[in-house]
Amino acid sequence: MEKPIFDFGMNTNRRHFLSRLSLGIGGAALGSLLVPDLFKSDTENSVNDIVSGLPHFAPKAKRVIYLFQNGAPSQFELFDHKPLLNKMFGEDLPESIRSGQRLTGMTSNQTSFPLAGSIFDFKQHGNSGAWVSELLPHTARIVDDICIIKSMNTDAINHDPALTFFQTGAQVGNRPSMGSWLSYGLGSENQNLPSFCVLLSRGKGNGQGVYSKLWTNGFLDSVHQGVQFSSGENPVLYLGDPEGMDRSERRRMLDKLAKLNQGTFDEFGDPEVTAKIQQYEMAYRMQTAVPEITDMSKEPESIVKMYGPECLVPGTYAANCLLARKLSEQGVRFIQLYHQGWDGHAGLPKEISGQCKDVDQASAALVTDLKQRGLLDETLVIWGGEFGRTNFCQGKFTKDNYGRDHHPRAFTIWMAGGGIKPGLVYGETDDFGYNIVKDPVHVHDLHATILNQLGLDHERLVFKHQGRRYRLTDVAGKLVKDIIS
Amino acid sequence: MTVRRYLQNWKGVIYNLAFFLNGLLIFLLFFEKSVAIPAWMFPIGRLHPAVLHFPLVVLLLYAFWTMIVEKEGSARWNVELADTLLLLGTFTASVAAFSGFLLSKEDSDVSQTLQWHKWLGVSISIGSIAWYGASKYLLPWRMPAKLFAGAFLGLLLVTGHLGGNLTHGEDFLALSPPNSTEAVNQVSIEQAEIYENLVKPVLQQKCYACHNADKSKGGLQMHTKELLAKGGKNGMLWDTTKPDLGLLINRVHLPLEDKKHMPPKGKVQLTDEEVVLLAEWIRLGSDFKEKVTALPPQNPVYRYAENVLGGNRTGEVYDFAAADPANVKALNTNYRTIRQYAPASPALFVNFYNRSAFKSSDISDLLPIKDQIVAMDFSKMPVKDEDLKVIAKFPELRKLILNFTELRGSTLGELRSLSKLRVLALSGTGINNASIKTLNSIASLEKVYLWSTGLTTEEQTALRADKKIRFETGFRSDTVRIALNPPTIENEQQIVMGDTRVRLKHQIPGTQIRYTLDGTVPDSTRSPIYNEPILLTNNALVIARAFKSGWYGSSSTQKNFIKANYKIDSVNLVSLPDPKYKAKAGTTLIDGIKSAAETGSGNWLGYRDADFESYFYFSKPVAAKGVTVSMLQNIAGFIFPPARIEVWGGADEHALKLLKVIHPALPARMIDGTSDILINASFEAPALSCLKIVAKPIPKIPAWHPGKGAKGWVFVDEVIVN
Repeated sequence: MEKPIFDFGMNTNRRHFLSRLSLGIGGAALGSLLVPDLFKSDTENSVNDIVSGLPHFAPKAKRVIYLFQNGAPSQFELFDHKPLLNKMFGEDLPESIRSGQRLTGMTSNQTSFPLAGSIFDFKQHGNSGAWVSELLPHTARIVDDICIIKSMNTDAINHDPALTFFQTGAQVGNRPSMGSWLSYGLGSENQNLPSFCVLLSRGKGNGQGVYSKLWTNGFLDSVHQGVQFSSGENPVLYLGDPEGMDRSERRRMLDKLAKLNQGTFDEFGDPEVTAKIQQYEMAYRMQTAVPEITDMSKEPESIVKMYGPECLVPGTYAANCLLARKLSEQGVRFIQLYHQGWDGHAGLPKEISGQCKDVDQASAALVTDLKQRGLLDETLVIWGGEFGRTNFCQGKFTKDNYGRDHHPRAFTIWMAGGGIKPGLVYGETDDFGYNIVKDPVHVHDLHATILNQLGLDHERLVFKHQGRRYRLTDVAGKLVKDIIS
Repeated sequence: MTVRRYLQNWKGVIYNLAFFLNGLLIFLLFFEKSVAIPAWMFPIGRLHPAVLHFPLVVLLLYAFWTMIVEKEGSARWNVELADTLLLLGTFTASVAAFSGFLLSKEDSDVSQTLQWHKWLGVSISIGSIAWYGASKYLLPWRMPAKLFAGAFLGLLLVTGHLGGNLTHGEDFLALSPPNSTEAVNQVSIEQAEIYENLVKPVLQQKCYACHNADKSKGGLQMHTKELLAKGGKNGMLWDTTKPDLGLLINRVHLPLEDKKHMPPKGKVQLTDEEVVLLAEWIRLGSDFKEKVTALPPQNPVYRYAENVLGGNRTGEVYDFAAADPANVKALNTNYRTIRQYAPASPALFVNFYNRSAFKSSDISDLLPIKDQIVAMDFSKMPVKDEDLKVIAKFPELRKLILNFTELRGSTLGELRSLSKLRVLALSGTGINNASIKTLNSIASLEKVYLWSTGLTTEEQTALRADKKIRFETGFRSDTVRIALNPPTIENEQQIVMGDTRVRLKHQIPGTQIRYTLDGTVPDSTRSPIYNEPILLTNNALVIARAFKSGWYGSSSTQKNFIKANYKIDSVNLVSLPDPKYKAKAGTTLIDGIKSAAETGSGNWLGYRDADFESYFYFSKPVAAKGVTVSMLQNIAGFIFPPARIEVWGGADEHALKLLKVIHPALPARMIDGTSDILINASFEAPALSCLKIVAKPIPKIPAWHPGKGAKGWVFVDEVIVN
């Protein structure tokens, strides 16, 4: 029995020694590549040892707020104005347009594909003359601050893979989420809050689930995991002290615990143990930072009017937008919102009206609010779903009621701030809104562009795992230079 | 001995080969005009760049050696090696010269540089073989040999340099880096010309190396406008009547493997954006003067220009020295983070967090690195007016965020010493118009954020008219009138027991809640104002709305409450429910919880074959006025209101009186979904100790229902006594 234990001890030591050694050398080598003047004689000039993460070049944006419209909003009712669909209302989609491209199992056995134009009115707005429907009156007011991309496209045709693809750059699960990549690449701005936060809300429309795998750290260190804020009395679960415990007592307990954990780390060398110690420490600091942020009582009335009165009702989309602004203001690197209920397979006009009421005012308010604080130039806001919806009706079709199936080949999102050109409408679809005819933007391209705005080269932000180097953009992704200001 | 002979033989062979090649070379040079090189020999010519470095190095070595040998004895140990070096140098020089000659024949256009390179190369080859042949007489420790070596060194360097110019272009060795287009790009998009600032830099980087005055491959020179427009031996570079826009764009689009693809395989290729630029410039008529701004912004050339001229990845360049990293590290705390603006940039930005941890000294502590800090964010920190005096000591500040700090503005003028300040955010502070005027003395100031300050509408309008500084006044709430959201009714339980009160709430401070209990919609004037939790005396529908000045009244929210004045103490369920729907038997009926309207929730007692029959007891007699039976209806699921309900009561369990009989109305057609039904029976019973309730399922489902003729279900979950 003694020998195997001895061997194990030896193994641990040697293996860890070697792997650290290689990391050290690899790190120094990588560092020398990234930092041009690392080996300059005047080492006093280098202040790199103070930053935990390195941008590759000067960033335009420091933080991201991603307003994810989960379930895929219909581009035809919101941004992609296609009068032809109204003219050909009820006529069959010409085969030349679809050209046999795949459909979901929900419509593939439909005998006809009657075209359905939006029953909602469109108007041009702002100096950019962007078309926005009557469902989004508040968004229409900020078109000159946002960049509308009408030519998004994705690989996946069903919710879960598409959502996973948008969040992690891969359709299969377990890759790190975008927020985790940013946390890994740039570290935290504020040591008292997690660098990646997640906020959920739910509309009345047909919903699709969101799961914690969407904000997973994947193979990255677990400190990069997204932290979900909930709507109840304790936004961050298990953060508060038990009744009767005061802060000094908590401090003593953490010190003791850290000592024990450090002992475990010294014995086994598992980096997850250090991560655990760090997380306890951050949680301790979050105990004062979080209540300061989630306390909405100090928000002026103009903020309430801006985001809509619902913004003070915890758990609503408006409240999450307001909270996102506050978190972002406090240096949280990536804030991911999900608003469920956009999956309009049937009864779309009614459902989408409700969904727009939920999100329109608060989304626009978030952009305006950041702008009036002088923070929009350093905060990137993104609004959009996981794919688009078909130009033809799914299921029951009447003059004022229809449904739309999933459509990954062309859909619309918008971005604002963070060095993205304001007042631009980018990309075009054909007259049927089915295929992209100009400037396609793939999900990988979007990821590359987001990383670029944060000062990261998507081809250089890599992590080696099980013998392969992984990137958020996998082996693809092209910077969309035309939307960068 | 054999080894030595072998070596000598080997040297002899090499020497002979070198002689042979030199001879061949002289012959070919003599008949250069009429020489026709067969195609299969061209690959030998292509070896030139690979071979030439060998003689260069070896001969350099030998020449050096010759120059440093002092006297005969000192060189003995390496004379043999030096001899070998010279021989190898001679041989490879001849190979290089021969292959170089072949290579020079590939191109019909011969520049002056090439001519010089050729003749100098030939002289190296011949000169070195002569040197080897004469090495017996040119003793390296004598002066003639040293002079010869020196001359040879010069020859090698000049020839090598000329060759380098041929392959890499003349400006390869220039002091500026190859990306010298940066300088050209330092024009604004308004002044930029398409050719001069966009097209030319691309050609310069990717084409000039082979198409210039010295090396015009294919007879094409691109370095002047005239020569570019003239084209090469294959004709004009562009032809807009052709679908592929002519030669240049055609060549660019050929597959990389194609011999005619440009730039050739192995050279730096054009990027997709550059190809689009060239094609679009040609399509627009290859104008040499046109400005970028003459194009619509949607044009790809315009976008390219924006990216190249405006898309500055490195950001602002800071010309001050970096701070001592140890200093920066020491000043970083959990509540004050100091970060580098970009890698290798000396500029730092500072963010403050956690209001409760903030002290004024947190600012002055930073003074040792004041010459590096370009941005500070104090959002929500309790920064006071006197702190501005310290902040004014950070001369490099470009951006200063003071949103929602405790500033009143009296010391705002202190900031005038910040001569580089561009952005100042003062939203949510107590500053006034007079103190804002003091900002005019900061010449560099571009943007000031003043949202949510005490400024009047007129003052805001006046400020926005300012030409020099852009004042952002943001969203104004006083002009906006929107509807409030309805209040929330906080009680979870629908049954209000005893003196439990109904609580209403609205999240927006200062909101007035008005409510009614009579089923009418509350209005903003007559309906009672909610000041404290409402005590209900009877079953009631509570309807509430919120009102606030400056807002439209909310829509209404409502909830049906069942008042339970008397708590039932025990229950005796006489008839057993269907085993599928037995819930918690009798206790379910008196637990005070109204179950959700779901058939399968497990909280409903279901009856079909038997009547529902149950006794309820009070430990002290009560003066009840009525009873409410909570039931469920799901017509599609065969769950109907009962056909008949009997309420019995009295002081003695064995002598109950029939207090009330109810025949609930039955639906006359299909009703979708599941819903609650509350059946109220009122009566007078001054001293009630026991109550019996009987509910009979309908014996026959009516004919319009798919299950006609079958027995209906009855679902019960609660009995409430008033």
